[in-house]
Amino acid sequence: MTRFGRRDESLPDLIAEAALAALGDAGIERPDALVVAAMNPEEFTGAGNYASLINTHLGLSNVPALRVETATSSGVAAVYLAFASIAAGFHRTVLVVGGEKMSHVPTPRVSEIIGRSVDPHERTYGTTMPALAGLITRAAMHSRGLTLREMSQVAVKNHANGARNPLAHFQEPVTLETVMESRLVADPLRLFHCCPISDGAAALVLTSEPSSVRIAGIGQGMDTMAVRYRADLTSFRATQAAALAAYAMAGFGPERIEVAEVHDAFTPFELISLEDTGLLPAGKAGRATLDGETALDGRLPVNPSGGLKARGHPLAATGISQIVELCWQLRGMAEGRQVAARVALAQSIGGLATNNWVTLLEARA
Amino acid sequence: MIVRAIAASRCPRCQRMVVPAARHCPDHPVAMESASVPGVGEIVSFTTLHSPPEGFKAPLHIALIELEGGARLFCHGAETRGIRIGSSVGVESLDNVFYFSHMSFADRARLFWRRAGAGGEKVASITKSLAKGVWRGRSRGDS
Repeated sequence: MTRFGRRDESLPDLIAEAALAALGDAGIERPDALVVAAMNPEEFTGAGNYASLINTHLGLSNVPALRVETATSSGVAAVYLAFASIAAGFHRTVLVVGGEKMSHVPTPRVSEIIGRSVDPHERTYGTTMPALAGLITRAAMHSRGLTLREMSQVAVKNHANGARNPLAHFQEPVTLETVMESRLVADPLRLFHCCPISDGAAALVLTSEPSSVRIAGIGQGMDTMAVRYRADLTSFRATQAAALAAYAMAGFGPERIEVAEVHDAFTPFELISLEDTGLLPAGKAGRATLDGETALDGRLPVNPSGGLKARGHPLAATGISQIVELCWQLRGMAEGRQVAARVALAQSIGGLATNNWVTLLEARA
Repeated sequence: MIVRAIAASRCPRCQRMVVPAARHCPDHPVAMESASVPGVGEIVSFTTLHSPPEGFKAPLHIALIELEGGARLFCHGAETRGIRIGSSVGVESLDNVFYFSHMSFADRARLFWRRAGAGGEKVASITKSLAKGVWRGRSRGDS
């Protein structure tokens, strides 16, 4: 994957940087197929027909290519398609790439474009992603006892991890006071509870050949596009269903997970996600975070890369970058932030938790 | 405040009510029936956006409200002072946009009598819930 943050390169160039590094790492020059993830390249960059644009840009113009989109979880959806095509016997080696380039676009316009993944009727009320996350956060504070301190500590932890990741958007630690006193964005959410706008790309090579890490399970879960159709605001049905499907495929449960990357686009989402995936008991994730259980040296390190909060969130790159980080962790290549783990979980949220994914990875002996 | 009816849809399969009226139930691919619900509900959650999207003025107050019958809807409000999760609010539609507002004591009393008029069973249940509230208040005072 590339360094995330403000990048001057074009999206095809960022994708090429990530793709060539992944192919080099895998020792492969020409994959059998290519799956491209990009959420809004038409709006952000003006280019279309993205699968063909990328395969030609990579010098792989005769390699079959598809583009996949499930909003902010597009990256994992692309991994799923590659995994399924290998499992079905269509291909032996598939390159998965995803990226987004948006820091050159004014922030209100970026918010509007990302906000298109919200239900069209609800959008007419000004319900951007931060607005809906603010509503969910207030409901969680009311019904689950989530505290400002707990959700702020997630940001402190993830910034501390990002400071150890040379590819992270933010590499500066922050204090609890800075987070808790940052400006209100969508009451009770503050600026430092929200992920930044980042550019970047990530890539993976999936193969049917033996390799050091295997995908033990991958599951998808859905929820209504309209938040007003949901009975429960404070947990995500889509994550719960994705986790169940992934655990069923893997034949093991959350008790074997030793490290996780979860979708902390807003810091309360990290706590909700840890409980929805069964990694922590309901209502306990906040306390566990304050107690350091999810820190790099804790019992269950969460977001060792810095997460969306500090590593950054270039939309379609994010789901792939989570899996890249976990592969590095399982292979002992996460210099400066290495944890001891053989089994890992990645959780990705698409839209306002409408199209979520859980992926389980296992190091081969 | 006058409680007005809000146009809704009901799923013939699962009886789910949705607002605004919609063609399909989110869980069943069948045509929904038209229905209406009174514009009275409870705050599920709310937020204030300090940098709202284009076309809106800051601060923008947004609430998610559950109406009687279970349908939820997004509303704008003039303020969120004094509003809590669980607060009773009135909902009105102006030019197809929903707005919530505090319910005054008089509004609640009117609502109580309107409901009471609907049948003895409701009077009994409201009396019971009031009595329970008093009882809870007292037991809290004791502890």
